[in-house]
Amino acid sequence: MMEPLLKVENLKKYFPVRGLLRTIGYVKAVDDVSFTINRGETFGLVGESGCGKTTTGRTILRLVEPTSGKIIFNGKDVTKIRGEEMKEFRRRAQIMFQDPYSSLNPRQTVFEVIMEPVRFHGIPVDDPEEFVIKLLESVGLNEMHLYRYPHEFSGGQRQRIALARLLALKPEFIVLDEPTSALDVSVQANILNMLKDLQKKYGFTYLFISHDLGVVKYMSHRMGVMYLGKLVEVGPAEKIFENPLHPYTQMLLSAIPVPDPDLARELKAKRMNVEGEPPSPINPPQGCHFHPRCPFAKAGLCDKKEPPLIEVEKDHYVACWLYAKS
Amino acid sequence: MSEPILEVRDLTVHFYTYAGIVKAIEDVSFDVYKGETFALVGETGCGKSVTSRAFTQLIESPGRIVKGKVIYHKEDGSTIDLLKLDEEEVRKIRGKEVAYIFQDPHASLDPLYTVGHQIAEAMVVHNTVKDWKEGFRKAVDILRRVLIPDPENRVKNYPHELSGGMKQRVVIGTGISNNPRILIADEPTTALDVTVQAQILELMNKLKREYNTTLILITHNMGVVAEMADRVAVMYAGKIAEIGSVDQIFKNPLHPYTQGLLRAVPNPLAKIERLDAIPGTVPNLIKPPKGCRFHPRCPHATEACRKEVPKLKEIEPGHFVACHLY
Amino acid sequence: MTQEEYKKGILDRLSDKLVDVIASFISLFKKDWKKKNRSKMEEWKLMLYALNRSPPGLIGLILIGMFIFLGIFGPSIAPWSYRYFPVFENMSTYLAPPGTEAYLPFSEKTITYPLGADHYGRDLVSLILYGARTSFVISIIVILLGVPLGIILGLIAGYYGGKIDELIMRITDMFLAFPALILAIAFSAVLPERLQGFINNHEFFESLFLKIFALQPQEAGNLGKLLAVILAMVIVWWPAYARITRGSTLTEREKLYVEAAKAIGLSSRTIMFKHILPNIIGPILVYITLDFGGVILMEAGLSFLSLGATPPIADWGRIVYDGSQYFPEKWWLVTFSGFMILLVALGWNLLGDTLRDILDPKMRRSIEFKVKKQKQMEQMEKEGEENV
Ligand SMILES: Nc1ncnc2c1ncn2[C@@H]1O[C@H](COP(=O)(O)OP(=O)(O)O)[C@@H](O)[C@H]1O
Ligand SMILES: Nc1ncnc2c1ncn2[C@@H]1O[C@H](COP(=O)(O)OP(=O)(O)O)[C@@H](O)[C@H]1O
Ligand SMILES: [Mg+2]
Ligand SMILES: [Mg+2]
Repeated sequence: MMEPLLKVENLKKYFPVRGLLRTIGYVKAVDDVSFTINRGETFGLVGESGCGKTTTGRTILRLVEPTSGKIIFNGKDVTKIRGEEMKEFRRRAQIMFQDPYSSLNPRQTVFEVIMEPVRFHGIPVDDPEEFVIKLLESVGLNEMHLYRYPHEFSGGQRQRIALARLLALKPEFIVLDEPTSALDVSVQANILNMLKDLQKKYGFTYLFISHDLGVVKYMSHRMGVMYLGKLVEVGPAEKIFENPLHPYTQMLLSAIPVPDPDLARELKAKRMNVEGEPPSPINPPQGCHFHPRCPFAKAGLCDKKEPPLIEVEKDHYVACWLYAKS
Repeated sequence: MSEPILEVRDLTVHFYTYAGIVKAIEDVSFDVYKGETFALVGETGCGKSVTSRAFTQLIESPGRIVKGKVIYHKEDGSTIDLLKLDEEEVRKIRGKEVAYIFQDPHASLDPLYTVGHQIAEAMVVHNTVKDWKEGFRKAVDILRRVLIPDPENRVKNYPHELSGGMKQRVVIGTGISNNPRILIADEPTTALDVTVQAQILELMNKLKREYNTTLILITHNMGVVAEMADRVAVMYAGKIAEIGSVDQIFKNPLHPYTQGLLRAVPNPLAKIERLDAIPGTVPNLIKPPKGCRFHPRCPHATEACRKEVPKLKEIEPGHFVACHLY
Repeated sequence: MTQEEYKKGILDRLSDKLVDVIASFISLFKKDWKKKNRSKMEEWKLMLYALNRSPPGLIGLILIGMFIFLGIFGPSIAPWSYRYFPVFENMSTYLAPPGTEAYLPFSEKTITYPLGADHYGRDLVSLILYGARTSFVISIIVILLGVPLGIILGLIAGYYGGKIDELIMRITDMFLAFPALILAIAFSAVLPERLQGFINNHEFFESLFLKIFALQPQEAGNLGKLLAVILAMVIVWWPAYARITRGSTLTEREKLYVEAAKAIGLSSRTIMFKHILPNIIGPILVYITLDFGGVILMEAGLSFLSLGATPPIADWGRIVYDGSQYFPEKWWLVTFSGFMILLVALGWNLLGDTLRDILDPKMRRSIEFKVKKQKQMEQMEKEGEENV
């Protein structure tokens, strides 16, 4: 049952920052990240904007080449594959983007959008039209939409089309990069429910990226919290929400406004002091990246040495000197 | 008994576009009480911004305020209709007595001037200060009030030298520089990360307490509403659906739309098995549905809902709803 | 704006019909094409509808239509061959003014000159008809070779970026650093001999070019110069296209649908030509239209500098050049052929400007709403109720 589908090991992605003539530094967008996603589960990735969530997702799919590290998909390292193997990987691992307005080619009809990957991968279909209609119906659209262009659809509908395109390939693994953050809450609920249903039906494995903790909690079985290119806490979603270990996770949780006035009043009193903003990933702080904002930072330790990611309780990892021995 | 500071009556704004007349808001009526935080919530495009901008005639062509009154209770107890004022008179009110803070801090600040200059300018325009020199001196005070560290030096910074959260603090500073009696914050934290959002919300609460300002908070985030608001108006497709205190709205939502909206938000602190999504999408405002504008998506819609526009009725003290169910 | 104003007129019904006929025609070969491309057909109809509303566009279209007609059939309907020199038979045909009639004793014919004659006594009407073919062929070849070259290089540079981009763009810059005319003059001066050598050795090309330029076999020795200007113009024409294509590609490749295409596994070539190109072709098309006029003007300019078409080949620029020596007393040569150049260049420009408007989605959308206001609204309403 708990069979890993994807294992990311020490993944790094540095983007060079170009000066006038030469590279003057690196944006360490993803800096030594390791985690595992089991088959059929949803792994949530949260963090504030710019912390490297999207880059992690894109690097795993090799839409950008990793600087170093291993991506083991189905027991095979995919960082070096090419040709036919790559093509097969592309079919099995897919991505859905945040912005529904630019993720569909404005010059392709829905039919073309969905059939293109199918044809490219040589997936046999008897009646293409029938095939596409079936897919559209499975995402809540219908025959009427077959030969329309993207601009004729709303944001929510476009995300459905994007989803139908993924389904056509019958992938195993899908990176969902904030698939609902451009949508309104009522539409968001529709899409989230549909993603859950599809997962149940087809056994998809998701990497669910979001900055919205409520959404991540709703979707994920396990999750990771990212800060400045690093994973600071990994574990089952339930556990992280019940018992957040890393001070950054605690800060994030206490910063979310809860849609319940009683609870809000109650929490107001015992809220953790939320301070500062994430610094630039070009020159991240020494030691633990979070120490300048951390109320528990120990001088001489947290600002010098990077904490390792250690298992504190079963399957619950945290990178913080509060829990590790130096 | 709380006394009103703003009475909005039958406010109607139309946009005359090539596609047709966009009935952005129709017959919007509500009171805002002195010293309270009044939240205007609803999904994108429901008319929150248009409503708040109409207060001080900030509607640009092709929009026009078709009818309505916005009665403003002045400090001395007299009342005026803000919509009857001419451009010159309304400019004296706008920015001085009624100030705005907009969503995007990057767009609200002029990149060519220092933040000190921009805050000082707001005061110079309204003659709150004698001259520019005093303006700059006061600007330092204001930066201190919005909790910007090292205000003496920050005042000389250009917007691009500040982080997103700092910029929004400056924008708030500009807004409060003339000690306005009403502060209208239009999605002030939508562009910000949660930890920064928490800080900005706290800052607004602090300022409101200190200066007894009336805060009109516009947002689509139910969490922010629960944390901040005293009273809430829920808008749907250009009309008010429901008005009440926070507790009334969250604990006893009457309008099916409010109920749906609350159920669609994934609350990070609650265990949710399945979100209840509202079917359908927001209607087109050029030809909105007849009768109740929510009826095509409403689970309780009856014949009456299709035919008649529901009026706002008081169901319990201070709790109004526009729905044929009551 | 009244409802009346946007009713479909005869022209609109005609253009709708045209689209339908074309669609039916394609459907003959591709099953269900019509059904699958309903949206596309609607779009075409709207474009034509917008064109019908634009008098300058229509004028441009008519002018270009006439030019193309003359370009194709001009030499066949010309009353006299360009290689027939009446002045050798009757000296009075030398620069005969418009309206002159002359008797040609050897061929025993009477020749009339509606627009006058040149210094060989050739009929200006015939020369203009032959010249249309020359301009037409030259502009088509230049655009057909130069533009795709520029587009391909621009796409490659913009899509791959990095060193490849650097290399292509530096070369482009080198070409753009010189004024186009000067560069064209330089190439037209250097190239003829080689091209002539090539033509002399390849009979197939010799007869091909003679045919498409509607020239007689005696002109074979002059083809080199003619082809030299064409090649010279191709060389100066592609860099501008490389640059605009690269610019649009740079913005387009950042769009998520390009990344989605990569995620599917599509090759770079497919992404460039099937995804990016269709999305940036609109503005390029406008440029092409405007440039047809530009090519004709430059070709005329080069002929005027006695590069390119050599007498007796009929060429509008050349006629202006020859005529200028007798201007203003013998005004007709310069005036009529100059006027033709002007009309054609104007036609392409009017068409290009209108195309720019029509291809602008905002503009088209406004027209769309005006045309099918009622239908559109009903559809929107229906959808609002039924879906998602
Ligand atoms: N193609 C790129 N080139 C340079 N820097 C990039 C690129 N993509 C992302 N970055 C940088 O990497 C960091 C992480 O970005 P991203 O992964 O998009 O964050 P998130 O998705 O968490 O908001 C940011 O600082 C961003 O500026
Ligand atoms: N300049 C404009 N032109 C045409 N329609 C507009 C314009 N501004 C706003 N609208 C319309 O008014 C409605 C309400 O907009 P707005 O108040 O900005 O919504 P919200 O702030 O609730 O997201 C929208 O349906 C929008 O289409
Ligand atoms: Mg991202
Ligand atoms: Mg708004």
